[in-house]
Amino acid sequence: MRHSAIYPFTAIVGQEDMKLALILNVINPSLGGVLIKGEKGTAKSTAVRALADLLPAMETVKDCKYHCDPQDHNRLCETCQDHLASHKSLAVQAAKMRVVELPVNATEDRVVGTLDIEYAIQHGEKKFEPGILAQANRNILYIDEINLLDDHVVDVLLDAAAMGVNRVEREGVSYVHPSRFVLVGTMNPEEGDIRPQLLDRFGLSVIVTGEHEPEKRVEVIKRRLAYEADPDTFLQMYQEEQETLAQKILQARQLFPMVSIEDQLLILVAKIAIALEVDGHRADIAVIKTALTLAAFSGRMTVTSNDVQEAARLALPHRMRRRPFEEGILDWQKVEALFGDQ
Amino acid sequence: MTVKTVFPFAAVVGQDQIKQALLIAMVNPKVGGVLIAGEKGSAKSTLVRGLSQLIPNRKLIELPLNATEDMVLGSMNMEQTVIDGKRHFSQGILAKAHKEILYIDEVNLLQRELSNAILDVAASGIHVVEREGVSKSYKAQFTMIGTMNPEEGDLPPQFLDRFGLYVTAAGEKNIKDRVEILRRILAYEQNPIAFYQKYKRAGEEIRQQITAARTKVKQILISDTMMQLAAQISLQGNCAGHRAEIFLLETAKAIASLAGRDVLLPIDMQEAAAFVLPHRMRQPSEDSKEQHSQKEQHDQPVQDSSHNEQLQLPNEEQSNGNQPSQDKDEESEGKIQEETAIADLLPIGNMALGVQKRKVRQGSGKRTLAKTNTKQGRYVRSCIPTKTVTDLAFDATLRVAAPYQLTRVKGMCCINICKEDLRQKVREKRIGTTFLFVVDASGSMGARQRMKAVKGAILSMLQDAYQKRDKVGMIAFRRQTAEILLPVTRSVELAEKSLQHLPTGGKTPLAEGLYTALGMLSTMYRLEKNIEPVMVLVTDGRANVGSREGQDAVSEALQAAQRIGETRVNSLVIDTEQDFVKLGIAVSIAQALGGSYYKLDDLSSENIIHIINSMK
Repeated sequence: MRHSAIYPFTAIVGQEDMKLALILNVINPSLGGVLIKGEKGTAKSTAVRALADLLPAMETVKDCKYHCDPQDHNRLCETCQDHLASHKSLAVQAAKMRVVELPVNATEDRVVGTLDIEYAIQHGEKKFEPGILAQANRNILYIDEINLLDDHVVDVLLDAAAMGVNRVEREGVSYVHPSRFVLVGTMNPEEGDIRPQLLDRFGLSVIVTGEHEPEKRVEVIKRRLAYEADPDTFLQMYQEEQETLAQKILQARQLFPMVSIEDQLLILVAKIAIALEVDGHRADIAVIKTALTLAAFSGRMTVTSNDVQEAARLALPHRMRRRPFEEGILDWQKVEALFGDQ
Repeated sequence: MTVKTVFPFAAVVGQDQIKQALLIAMVNPKVGGVLIAGEKGSAKSTLVRGLSQLIPNRKLIELPLNATEDMVLGSMNMEQTVIDGKRHFSQGILAKAHKEILYIDEVNLLQRELSNAILDVAASGIHVVEREGVSKSYKAQFTMIGTMNPEEGDLPPQFLDRFGLYVTAAGEKNIKDRVEILRRILAYEQNPIAFYQKYKRAGEEIRQQITAARTKVKQILISDTMMQLAAQISLQGNCAGHRAEIFLLETAKAIASLAGRDVLLPIDMQEAAAFVLPHRMRQPSEDSKEQHSQKEQHDQPVQDSSHNEQLQLPNEEQSNGNQPSQDKDEESEGKIQEETAIADLLPIGNMALGVQKRKVRQGSGKRTLAKTNTKQGRYVRSCIPTKTVTDLAFDATLRVAAPYQLTRVKGMCCINICKEDLRQKVREKRIGTTFLFVVDASGSMGARQRMKAVKGAILSMLQDAYQKRDKVGMIAFRRQTAEILLPVTRSVELAEKSLQHLPTGGKTPLAEGLYTALGMLSTMYRLEKNIEPVMVLVTDGRANVGSREGQDAVSEALQAAQRIGETRVNSLVIDTEQDFVKLGIAVSIAQALGGSYYKLDDLSSENIIHIINSMK
């Protein structure tokens, strides 16, 4: 695909929650990704690709299969570690953040990586051939219809999604490499459930629907037609907006480590988690991290109660304790009552 | 990954039981490993991985879920073999784990073939290799640590038994701790290295505690009194075999030595019991009597059915109480419902969060695991192909070819592969079964509160289907027609919803219901070649509407049943007939279907699940 063929992120009409959730994840990739629930044709995949395209290139180690971050010495792959140890420095190249797709019918060996057959036959030696999880390191891993994914593929995803590491012990090769990605999954809830364990790995979830106001629908069509008629002009129209947003994201990234949160709000989040009886601690952690990221995105150094509320709205709905047949609905009134107590 | 990216063990707030269990296993390898079961996000894996930084002289060897058999058990070393034509062998993960710690995350999701192999080795401590022309044996004594989320499925009982200690994990419930957890995680993420430094000393202390306890534990003598106490405790827990006593004593020794003592006290035994017994306790006689009667009725081997220590399962009773209240459905044409019936008797909640039930399930393995001959599924091992190779196992093929490379003519490549070297991949896939529920919703069912009981029974099955990720479809028949309430779907929730809103009333067009089922089954066969669905027919058999004029409703239904019976379906008929004069039509229907037959009154949730599991 030509680079210019990507629809601009800022030209997407509506879907504010989805756009926000995606932006927060690129500001802070440790949020754990987004699960997008909703019908087809709601610009899900367009938005993901457009966002990746919007961001400026990042620094990666030159020719590294895992696009290691030359600054982050803690998370280098074996090759880069060895190279760093022997040469004391790493060659750097710029690379755009990519959207790596994991198709629903992907086989396990494609996902985790496997034995490099060609190399083995030619040289009589074993070598690891990286899979999708390798490509996804520091990129966006996009899984359309994630609820239809085979169970055994989900199993191998779980660990990588939580630990940021892919550990391979298969087909004669034993290998460990970093695999830290922004997980973006889409699903249509009517087509089946997603396993609770995988659900919990998602930082945020949003629901998308088609626009209901006729005016907005018309606007969607208008823009799409304008874009298809003359992509270059269309891109130019949005260039300024695109640059502003890209700047805002970059600034938020820089600001993020300095954002602080008051104890009172931490207590509030803990109270919410207990009131809603969520499993484990991932919910609280996700809410806090999202709130911090939201503050950074607004250019603030401190988290407000509003940030927390907004974060709860994005990070909690999919974590409601769900036994079979229990409606996994977020009791928002409970949350609001707790905010009221503040 | 480097040391500093792991969240420090000492920085984990709370979870004292898990920490203690892990320390015990580090001090005394004879306690037989630890299984940590608990809800997601409760620091299970974090603790284990953090611990790996603190254990003196031992390593943590991880066994990832994607591991193939050759990596676990070892395989021929292809590289060396190619060079000198002699068969060299590379050790597998199990052999590498000798004297170390073997960690299996999500242990309940491990491939069945692998878990069996690991069990063998764990039991004997010796790993015998007879593969690929190599015959060797290795010592493989390791401490096994497993973590799992019971929501995702059970661990086979014989595997469960291998773990000496069992602990459950749950999130912290008090605000102060939760806030502290948040603070620490934020600090850790902001600067992992500084965070690591901060807890370095606390970690060092734990390391010293382990080292000191390791020397002490060897000096502790077991008195006769303690042995008797161990025997008493195991007897009270009704534990099978003598493993419990041994684990109890060894665990108690570790506990005493961790406390800095070299004498064993009764409190040590008490603490040890909390770790060793939960997964071994069996329910005493009352229950087993009931199990025996089931055994005779259904010819199913039910053994060892046991629940866990009561105090471990506060949720069970609560959820039992809550769940049936969801059944407050209105049947539009139904009568005022005050049924107590089966729905209330079925403890639906107890499987949702329960600890494993120890039970030998026949056929459950087949239901959850199947060898597939498509390219889907997890690659487990290789085999010699029977016909043409459709799914080549490259690694195995290379290993077969390796020893002959010295003598074979090679072109540009280093390895020349002949036809007889080719090996096929064996894949394992957890496939759910497709269930088709055909439910009689006629007036005769609505009467006498049968429907509520039926719903209870089906709900139990749906519960199980949810866990196993089966597919379900549902047909209801009443008045003149049969209606597909739910096309085959993976969403068990939808099935439950359509069941809730199922109206009853009118006549019983049994034949129509069965023909509709036949139609759905044929579609399934066309879509999936190897499918073997399970049809559950719930009816009182009192067919009184034929699909065509002038036909006898019952004989028509029997014909339909016969036709379904000729397909690959496994059928189960649940008879709801309750009238004083029983016509017994449902039995004939079951015979025509070639399926099994049960009376609704005989069903409890336990045996429903059991029956379902034996179906496929």
